[in-house]
Amino acid sequence: MSHCPYHDPFKDARKKGPVLPTQFDGEPVPMILGLKDVRKAARDFKTFSSNAPFRIPIPAEEDVRSVRQFPLEVDPPDHTDYRKIVEPFFKRPTQPEYITRVENLIGEILTDACQRDSIEIVREFAIPLQSRALTYLLNMPESEANVWIQWGTHVFRDESGVSKGAEMEAYCHQLLDSAAANPGDDFFSALVQAEFQGRPLTRDEMLGFANITFAGGRDTIINTVAVVIAYIAEHPSALDTLRENPKMILTATEELIRFTTPLTHIGRVCPVDTDVHGKTVKAGDLVSLCWASANFDETVFDSPEEVRIDRKPNPHIAFGNGTHNCLGAPHSRLLVRTLLRKLCELTSSVKLIEATPKVEQEADYERNNAYESLTVQITPSSP
Amino acid sequence: MLAVIETTPPINMPTVTFITPDGKQTVIKNTDGTLMDIATENSIEGIEGACGGVCSCATCHIHVTPEWIERVGPADETEQDMLEFEEATHPGSRFSCQVELTPDLDGLIVEVAPLS
Repeated sequence: MSHCPYHDPFKDARKKGPVLPTQFDGEPVPMILGLKDVRKAARDFKTFSSNAPFRIPIPAEEDVRSVRQFPLEVDPPDHTDYRKIVEPFFKRPTQPEYITRVENLIGEILTDACQRDSIEIVREFAIPLQSRALTYLLNMPESEANVWIQWGTHVFRDESGVSKGAEMEAYCHQLLDSAAANPGDDFFSALVQAEFQGRPLTRDEMLGFANITFAGGRDTIINTVAVVIAYIAEHPSALDTLRENPKMILTATEELIRFTTPLTHIGRVCPVDTDVHGKTVKAGDLVSLCWASANFDETVFDSPEEVRIDRKPNPHIAFGNGTHNCLGAPHSRLLVRTLLRKLCELTSSVKLIEATPKVEQEADYERNNAYESLTVQITPSSP
Repeated sequence: MLAVIETTPPINMPTVTFITPDGKQTVIKNTDGTLMDIATENSIEGIEGACGGVCSCATCHIHVTPEWIERVGPADETEQDMLEFEEATHPGSRFSCQVELTPDLDGLIVEVAPLS
């Protein structure tokens, strides 16, 4: 595990108590740490509300977007009606033709990687993979990915330090204009034609759906892909194990997703003064549901810092839990499963050449679950 | 409505009946794997099995009919902790991915939990 970029930064905090009192953006935020407690809080939307535009992602995003994200930043019952509008798109990854397209895409990208002396996974592999696959989810021309690839690893917080948030919003406006003028069967056309509780969506609501669709499933997928490749590079026997036990691709996928937990946490707002495991949260203040801590809860997971590709059961909540459960989960799972399958099929080894870990540095923890860059050499399987 | 599906036989493996909330019964013969595996292989409505069977996604909730509860056995702590937060729970609630099919479950009848 020497190179794997993970050490559980919440281990000591969990020993001290059920929450880690910390702060983000100068505001006090208790982070809920244990799996059961996080799951319970995620289900209790009356106490821990999502009805807080810009503040559900932590740190807050007022500075990088102009619209509330839908359906993320809304509580039930409205949330349920908003979510229904886009759900059919996010269920597409279970369709056989969709699965075949993803297989072909990853096959193509891996074959190309095999032909190079070396490849930088984050920029030359994971970003194009994420962007091109997203065109399938949104039922858009694959050429649109060329625009999205330019947005980097994170639309708002790429390493360049420049947010692409405004550029992305302008782009979404354009797509909504063309969809309104000439609707097709893509995601944007669905938004312009959608009804919410008997009325059309407002332009801000449409932008809010588009905003999270582009921002939410981006760094998360890119970072997971990089961690998967790094894991395979550090554990050469894993591919043999998976080749001998193809069913283990399912458990390996869940385990690598648990291990990466690409989204550290998410915020909720307490509408009234609330006692959160002994810490008082004032009305209007935030709590954090810490997925990254919950997924390493030693009372649930045996040796949580170890990757066990046959781990089962594996009740992780890397995709969140409850009504706001990640809409992109089926798509993400398909990408990781297919990546592992194609690595087994098309490659014989992945050799690590250079790795620069990416650090999420906050007031009271430092987390390392991604790469700034990861250069490897991929050798094709012998014919 | 009744559908009977025969899969390739491992000998002595059980026949299982799924009943979906709309009343449709599907009988699956010569089953193998877990209840979730056979439900997804045979497209039983309401059983998604998104996580592939590791007890993470809670999309394969079933109710074991009373006469079978003892033989199928109870949920372990991990599963129980998740079932606690599910809607439409029942004394026979299980996640179907956690029920391995064995010859002594021949004749098993389960109901797919209604979606909330």
